[in-house]
Amino acid sequence: MSKWVLLGIRSGTKTTRYPSHTESAAGISPGRPKDTLMADKNAQALIRDLCPTGALNPKNDRIAVDYRRCISCRRCARGASTLVDWEESWEWASLSAPDLNASSALGSPFSQSLHIRVLDAGACRACLSEIEQLGKPYYNIHRLGFFMTPTPRHADVLLVAGPVADNMRLPLEKAYDAMPTPKRVVAVGACALSGGVFGPSFTSYGSLKNVIPVDVEIPGCPPPPLAIIHGLLVLTGRRPPAESGATSFLDRRSGT
Amino acid sequence: MNQSHIARPTRKDLIDGICSRWPGMEANTRIEEDGSALITCDIATLRELCEWLFCENNYAFATLIVEDEEADWLFRYIFYGDAEVGVVHVCMKQPKSNTVAPSITAGAHAADWHEREVEDLFGISFEGHPRLGDFVLHEEWPEGVNPMKKDFDASKPYMHREVDPEWRPLRILEAQGAFMMPIGPVYSDYAEACQFFLETVGEDVVRTTPRIFYKFRGVEKLAENQPVERVLLMAERFSGASAFAHSLAFCRAVEKISGLEPPPRGQLLRVLFAELERLRHHVGAIAGICGSTALAVATSQASILEEELLRLSCIMSGHRYLFGVNRPGGISIDVTSDQCKMLGDSVRSIASDLKNLFDMLRLSSSFLDRIEEVGIVSTENALSYGLVGPVARGSGIARDLRNILPYGPYKSQIACQTALETEGDGYARLRVLFREAEESANIICRLSSELPPGDVASPEFRLKAGQALGWVEAPLGAAFHWVSIGEEGAVKRYRVTPPSFMNWHGFHLAAENFAFQDFPIVMATFGLSNAECDR
Amino acid sequence: MIDVSMLLFLFMATCAVGAALAVVLPDRMNLVVQTVVGIVASAIALAASGAVLLLGLSFDINLWRLPGLGPISLHMDRISALFVFVTALVYLPISLFSVEYMEKYVGRYSIKFFGFFSHLLFASIVLTLAAGDVASFLFAWELMTILSYLLVTYEHREEEVTSAGYLLLSMSEVGTFAAALGLLIIAGSADNLSFSALRNASSGIGEAARWGVFLLTFFGFGVKAGLIPGSSWLPRAHPAAPANCSAVLSGVILNLGIYGIVRVNADLLPVSHASQGIVALIVGSLSALIGILYATIDNDMKRMLAHSSIENMGIITACLGAGFVFLASGQSALAGIAFVVAFYHTVNHSLYKALLFLGAGAVDSKVGGRNMNRFGGLIKRMPWTSAWFLVGALSIAALPPFNGFVTEWLTLQTLLQSAVLSAKGLKIAFALCGAMLALTAALAVTCFVKAYGMSFLGMPRSKAAESAAEAKSPTIVSMAMLAALCFIFGITPTYVIPVIDGAVSPVVHQSVTDELVPPFFSGNKTKNPKFSDAFMAEFHDLGAQVGSSVLPGRGLVVLHQGTARNPVIFAMSTSYTFVVLAILIIGSVLVIRLLFRNRVVLRKPVWDGGIRRLFPEMTYTATGFSNPVRVIFEAIFRPSMSENTRETISGHFRTAIRNGREETYVVDRALVNPLIRSSQWLAGLIGLIHSARVNAYAGYVLLTLLAFLVIQTLI
Repeated sequence: MSKWVLLGIRSGTKTTRYPSHTESAAGISPGRPKDTLMADKNAQALIRDLCPTGALNPKNDRIAVDYRRCISCRRCARGASTLVDWEESWEWASLSAPDLNASSALGSPFSQSLHIRVLDAGACRACLSEIEQLGKPYYNIHRLGFFMTPTPRHADVLLVAGPVADNMRLPLEKAYDAMPTPKRVVAVGACALSGGVFGPSFTSYGSLKNVIPVDVEIPGCPPPPLAIIHGLLVLTGRRPPAESGATSFLDRRSGT
Repeated sequence: MNQSHIARPTRKDLIDGICSRWPGMEANTRIEEDGSALITCDIATLRELCEWLFCENNYAFATLIVEDEEADWLFRYIFYGDAEVGVVHVCMKQPKSNTVAPSITAGAHAADWHEREVEDLFGISFEGHPRLGDFVLHEEWPEGVNPMKKDFDASKPYMHREVDPEWRPLRILEAQGAFMMPIGPVYSDYAEACQFFLETVGEDVVRTTPRIFYKFRGVEKLAENQPVERVLLMAERFSGASAFAHSLAFCRAVEKISGLEPPPRGQLLRVLFAELERLRHHVGAIAGICGSTALAVATSQASILEEELLRLSCIMSGHRYLFGVNRPGGISIDVTSDQCKMLGDSVRSIASDLKNLFDMLRLSSSFLDRIEEVGIVSTENALSYGLVGPVARGSGIARDLRNILPYGPYKSQIACQTALETEGDGYARLRVLFREAEESANIICRLSSELPPGDVASPEFRLKAGQALGWVEAPLGAAFHWVSIGEEGAVKRYRVTPPSFMNWHGFHLAAENFAFQDFPIVMATFGLSNAECDR
Repeated sequence: MIDVSMLLFLFMATCAVGAALAVVLPDRMNLVVQTVVGIVASAIALAASGAVLLLGLSFDINLWRLPGLGPISLHMDRISALFVFVTALVYLPISLFSVEYMEKYVGRYSIKFFGFFSHLLFASIVLTLAAGDVASFLFAWELMTILSYLLVTYEHREEEVTSAGYLLLSMSEVGTFAAALGLLIIAGSADNLSFSALRNASSGIGEAARWGVFLLTFFGFGVKAGLIPGSSWLPRAHPAAPANCSAVLSGVILNLGIYGIVRVNADLLPVSHASQGIVALIVGSLSALIGILYATIDNDMKRMLAHSSIENMGIITACLGAGFVFLASGQSALAGIAFVVAFYHTVNHSLYKALLFLGAGAVDSKVGGRNMNRFGGLIKRMPWTSAWFLVGALSIAALPPFNGFVTEWLTLQTLLQSAVLSAKGLKIAFALCGAMLALTAALAVTCFVKAYGMSFLGMPRSKAAESAAEAKSPTIVSMAMLAALCFIFGITPTYVIPVIDGAVSPVVHQSVTDELVPPFFSGNKTKNPKFSDAFMAEFHDLGAQVGSSVLPGRGLVVLHQGTARNPVIFAMSTSYTFVVLAILIIGSVLVIRLLFRNRVVLRKPVWDGGIRRLFPEMTYTATGFSNPVRVIFEAIFRPSMSENTRETISGHFRTAIRNGREETYVVDRALVNPLIRSSQWLAGLIGLIHSARVNAYAGYVLLTLLAFLVIQTLI
């Protein structure tokens, strides 16, 4: 047994120091497109048609990004002569209703001790894999006071990924119903926010909002573990949210 | 390369055998230009022919494709052997009014779940199959509604909710005081949605019945009448953990239809990324096995390596799970030589850490106690259930598509050893995972320094109409994608048989007569994915 | 003044009238009349025995003087009175229960038959207990045996019922024969057959004869009491009999075996050798362990209760054995304590076992069947039945504040007193048997958690359980009576013990009330030579006399005093325990109500993993619950797989897996079956004589003649 202990000690500490320090390692986030200045109408149309889920919409002389729909296919960053700007970030989580004050929503006792029930509503396993990494040495959410729980009775948060497959609708509703108040729901990934490529169909509900109320949205396909951590910090009021996922910052400022 | 258990008839033997057994079939047998054999038969000979192929000639069963044409049902049974005999397609046609077909499961048990899936989705019943029903469509769907039929509208949610009040899970154990423990579909910390019924009399679990398709997203239906670019996205994303492999199989099928191959650099980069994905997937599976036995340090060590591989994938391709890399005609990104050098160095160090971990695990008797002789699948059962991938190779079945049906550079440039173990228990599967991970790491290190210059994608790629089968050895086993493209350039029929679908079929073999505490360990050593299986 | 003989005469008359009425009345009225007669007879018997027990009146009648057999007399001393008291105490609620329970037999079997024989059975039991000489004792005993056999085989068209009854009868006869032999050995040295003559003859019996008497009567009466190795009939007879008969069988008739053992070995020919006590102790402990093991794994509710009766009889016998050892070693105070505990446990066992059997009968008549795997969820459908059954289960699992706790605790404390014995072998035997009894107590809790939980809690596991209705008031009232008695006997041990002591003191020639219930809690501060002033003052200051101001009596604490170094050996008070428990529970409820009066409580269905709904086959069964016990004690059970088949279609589609398991009772396996096999072998050997040839038979005649001639010349 001692050899395992020695091996563990020799490996050192790998855990990221986010959120107290910035994380700058390579490969921690795929990044995402951002608002781009693009005056040429033809280029705008080309970009808009390139996007398979309709996440890029021309607005005046810009391309606005609907993060709920972006599935990280990168066609907009590779497939045209005029490309969309890219941001390497991960703090993507936002509140589903912008005037909702998340920190008072759950209350301060929960900010350092949160129990999370992960629910797979038809996810492709990339989002689930990123969620799994949360408990692993590089991210280790236990140090932030976040814990996974196997029963919704002990859960404060329901973390849902997937486009809500038809057969999972009843288990999802039952799990939500079985959680005691106060409870919150976090939707992870493009499938949970808009249905992704599987969209609303004969066997998927598309957006999680169609089934249960959602409090925090984390866009991405899949959102990297740091983005999910950011989402949980937004939920507990320890970090400010990104601007609303529906429209980008510029549009809110311009009032359209 | 290949070991025992697989007889090796040649193509000529196949044709001769068919003609001697069923005289008059010679006219219906021909060899296509890609080397596969196409046999057209009628209902009367279908069962015998399939059983002859499966049982006596040791062909493996790949998939069953049913197409809803205007006047007929088209059935296509695909079998495969090794490179010499290639792939055999057995086709049958039936008028639309006749919705009963013969079942081949008496001899070829591997077709069991394929027939059940067709019954639920197409409404065709298979005579001689004792367990049709309640498979893909759960108890909320009434009889007679079959989504894969052409007259079903797939764009709106299906609103009818008639729950059958008499529905009960199937009980197999008959004993005094027997009861059934339900698990799921929401259970454990991170598990995917799947339901199990464990039947027991209070001590050992006597029988496990998994109930899948809780994550059914209807990819095959959604793909109909969609452009190829859109279907490529679905092929990539229905199983995110093996996205590259499935997108590769899809692209190969499309390229075969158009008769085009990517340039050499593109092909070798495909192999590089495929092996990178396989390495990362296997390290994740090893972390899962160590985690199921609660050996915390080993789990953490494997998880560290998994995250490093995810970051490597992101650096090399821009996405941690290699989304958006494959496209028909080649790949969509290029790598610099600095990146390749960094890749080679990193993978070398990861491989040595992995070897160190394996050496330590081999000497941990408390760990071995929990996975040795647990979840045993015998070779005969693995053969008749048609298991694939590391699960099958742990049970003595030496089938690796990179060797028996080589594609791309695997044909001549890249040789890989088939990892083979014979015990069929959890430890055997773990050893297979470690050996394949080592093999993948070797391939990556070699390729990272040997990439030829050139294009990564074929510039003159043009879509044509037609149909073809693309296959790939995904991290979990053999995956088959059948694509049929229509005149307008839209996909007419898309059929996916992922490896998890074949292996979930045989999961209950490993989960019989065991102590309940071993259940997570058996699950972890199989390492199956519900997202991949349910599509 | 109460005239006991008048009361007993009245009792016999009531029984006779009841029997006569039962033959003539039509069925519906018959049931009510039987019940009324039963209640009246029980009340009279209670009065009679109560008078003897509590007031010290005695009863002695010489009926006739028969030539050759001597005087036929009836005599009720306090031991008999105690047993009659318990009998009547149990018979009253059972009679009330019968009026509703027997309705299911109307039209199928003869109600007249039942009434006739059950009244006669009651009378014969009282006769057996009141017999004053060997002849009347054996006559009444046989009558009682045959009547109980007739009532057990009431459902005579069922084959397993008749075979069970036959086994009961045959084993009882063997036991009776052995016991009679033992009694006659004593009688051989006496003037006549009366018990007083036998008592005087004890001095003239040698060592070997004493051993013979002890073994014959212990194992002979032990068959009736259900001790191993004579217990094979119990698990078969109880399920076969109707529930009220099972209650009588278990609550009354098994006690008669104990009565027989006590009467001979403590009264007529007291035990002289400590080893005899050890035999009783070991047999009792083994019976207890084997009984509870089989009870834990059994799924048939009545058979489980039958095995549990074997367990309780084993505990009583173990206590008796300890008493015998103490008596033979000269520790008469400890012997008295042991006998008091044994009798107390007899009373308790009758009460809670009758309650449990009535509960099982109620469930059987409302749900149908006795298999606990098919019950479930009855607490919602039969709330009162399940409440009283719970009281019975708590009592038999020896949990305060009910009566089982008192005697279980006292039994173990008594066995711990082996420190005063000098012989090492005795101490080791006491230690091992004490350990076995402790294990038994733990298994009893498991057994009844399973019995109550699987039958009444959870989801109904069959359609019959789903549609069960609550029983009507006769059943509920009768069970409530027994439950109330269990409670009363549990919280007032200090009142019960002096009464039982009255029965025990003639046997050990001293009163042990002071040993168990010292008088200084009554506040009288009267001087008592056994207790020093300082000792008494200490407890007075602790406030232990509070109880006496509430109820007249010696106080509410059971306490055994030791030496100066170790003043108190053991002490407990279920009365105070109950009060404290009640205060804590009610207090907690009130505090919680007060603190959380503004909190909203939501009730949601149980979390089931997201499955659409839970089915009854997804809940734990009784077999599953007791499987760990089955596995751990496999060496005793030795189960064999009766069926282990797998059905498949096409070799792969598994359609059925059939597992069956069979166990043979350990006593049958170890003792009875080998006996049967060897006697059959012997009979086979002897049967060779029957060669069916006339010449051979003629030869036998010749040989016999020759043999006689030879013997004649030799003599």
